[in-house]
Amino acid sequence: MGKKTGADWSSGSAENFGDFRFPFQFDFATSSSTPPSPFPPRPPLFTTLSSPTASAAGQRAFTPSTTMSLARPARCLFCSFTRATPTGARVPRRQFHASPPSLSDRKPKFANMKASNLKTLDQISRDLKTDDFKAYTEEEKAALKENYTPEQLAAIEAGEAAIDPKDMAEQFSIRRDPMKLHYLDDMSTIEPGVDKAVKAPGSNSDYNAKLKSDDDFVGDFARFFAEMPENANAGDWVRFLETTRVTVGKEENELSPHSSLVPDLFGPGDSMNGEIPLPQVFPKDRNQVRESEEMTDALKRLLLSTGFSVSYIKSLKTKALVSHSVVNQTRLGKVRRVYCLSIAGNGNGLLGIGEAKSEESADAMLQSKYRAIRSMQPIPRYENRTIYGDVKGKVGAVELQLMTRPPGFGLRCQHLIFEMCRAAGIHDLAARVSRSRNPMNTVKAAYEALMAQRNPEDIARARGQKLVDVRKVYYSGRV
Amino acid sequence: MSLVNLAHVCSHLNNAAKARLGLTSIPNSQLHLKLCLALQNSGYISSVVRGGPSPPPPHIILGHPTANDEVQGVEPVTQTNVASRRLWLGLKYWQSEPVLGKVSMVSKPKRRINIDVAGLREVIRGEKSGYVEGLRSPGESLYLSTDQGILEARECVEKKVGGLVLCRVL
Repeated sequence: MGKKTGADWSSGSAENFGDFRFPFQFDFATSSSTPPSPFPPRPPLFTTLSSPTASAAGQRAFTPSTTMSLARPARCLFCSFTRATPTGARVPRRQFHASPPSLSDRKPKFANMKASNLKTLDQISRDLKTDDFKAYTEEEKAALKENYTPEQLAAIEAGEAAIDPKDMAEQFSIRRDPMKLHYLDDMSTIEPGVDKAVKAPGSNSDYNAKLKSDDDFVGDFARFFAEMPENANAGDWVRFLETTRVTVGKEENELSPHSSLVPDLFGPGDSMNGEIPLPQVFPKDRNQVRESEEMTDALKRLLLSTGFSVSYIKSLKTKALVSHSVVNQTRLGKVRRVYCLSIAGNGNGLLGIGEAKSEESADAMLQSKYRAIRSMQPIPRYENRTIYGDVKGKVGAVELQLMTRPPGFGLRCQHLIFEMCRAAGIHDLAARVSRSRNPMNTVKAAYEALMAQRNPEDIARARGQKLVDVRKVYYSGRV
Repeated sequence: MSLVNLAHVCSHLNNAAKARLGLTSIPNSQLHLKLCLALQNSGYISSVVRGGPSPPPPHIILGHPTANDEVQGVEPVTQTNVASRRLWLGLKYWQSEPVLGKVSMVSKPKRRINIDVAGLREVIRGEKSGYVEGLRSPGESLYLSTDQGILEARECVEKKVGGLVLCRVL
């Protein structure tokens, strides 16, 4: 029961925190003219005005509005007297929802307040003074007497007297020091969801419990003899033997241990030998070994020029798509080398192609992969799955067309374009390669076509018109 | 309605856009004028002015010829000068790319293609209808000659009119 905090909190509505206004059993006692039955009364079988499914509406048509019924929430009888009579005849209407019909003439839950009388929490806490916590007046005490027994009243007064109003003024004000909480809380209760839950211990077992050593028992005996009363009898000795524990650790473990038939499970941090194993989030030296194996000069230069990390480069999807040997005819003879064309993508909109020639095929492959990583560029993707519109590309005699497709269509295209789309993160696409199908030029033409997509934003800006993605409008932006 | 001249206009507009011209002229005719106004309405070209063999004087503030220039005045079309009239079109560019990318004829002088509303609905949905390919790229338009004037395909569907398919603009 708190001190009365005065009329400043709200304009006089919270006069007294301690009085209950109308207990609920009061309603049932006075409305006993209709004996309360355990079931809500059945709706009439034939209701012309109300829907037969809406039982509450049928109920209202069946009984007068002042009769107390169990179908409606119990309400105070006095309140029903003060309620204004409805202006028009209440016509039961069909309900279009499951919630009970609201009564328009119902009294508001809170009394109306003028805005000039309202105060913010800051103002209240700033203005809190010792005088605000006044003792109960005689009238208030008389009002309390109606609801409380004399013993309860005495307890209330004792509680009021025990707390200094000065302390109340200090404690009740809202903290403004730097260590204040960022939310309002009086700390007196444990709020579920906000405060840390205080739980009962999950089990009685203590796996770290161990038997007492001889020294521990000697200490127990020494304490017993030191604290032994003057006229000790056999009962003291028996009590000592019965109460002395034989293990060190949780007491419940010794008193009611788990049964061997149903053994306890380990809790987090429990173990048989008492050690708490730390969870290893990152496996230790797996990456380091690999890095040292593969850290070549070319990779170092790649890291330096791109700014990518080693792990990012490892996560990229690279693939050598075209590889064949080429010959340079010189005066001294034919010089054979290996040509390689690779693609690299991050599977999320980046794609690059790189080509390299070398005497060694592995070297050519590595070089072309690194060049592909260097040349990665963002590919416009519609809804992160397909392309914007149909696009065409032409390199040499290879002419191809990439076509946008609906979700779930998949990649229905030849393998080179399939690999490029997979590396770039395009999931729905069709392609048609016409005229020549040279692999190298196909990859180049597909890249050219992908980069030739037109951004609808740019089109709208260029034409000075508003373009709307109808799919986005239809699905209200959730595609 | 000469589709031969319209085909020449389409080629000329493609060439002018590739050459990054700011102002170009096409022969004057009602069909060309209406199509150019439809293109201007869609934002593909900036201005359409009917002038003589030499470009009309630029607007004092805007810097390009305008049809309603009060300071310079617009030469009226008379019976004596109508044969020498040309349409002067202001071309638009955005980020060094022509806004009017590629104009291509759909109907040909020897094969005129008409389409009804049901076919047009398929076309603007991106599907092929008859000889007309669907509008499958963002910002692609199709212009038709209808009895309500020269309209864009989507406008035709709105007004529920079909007509002669003139050209496709990408």
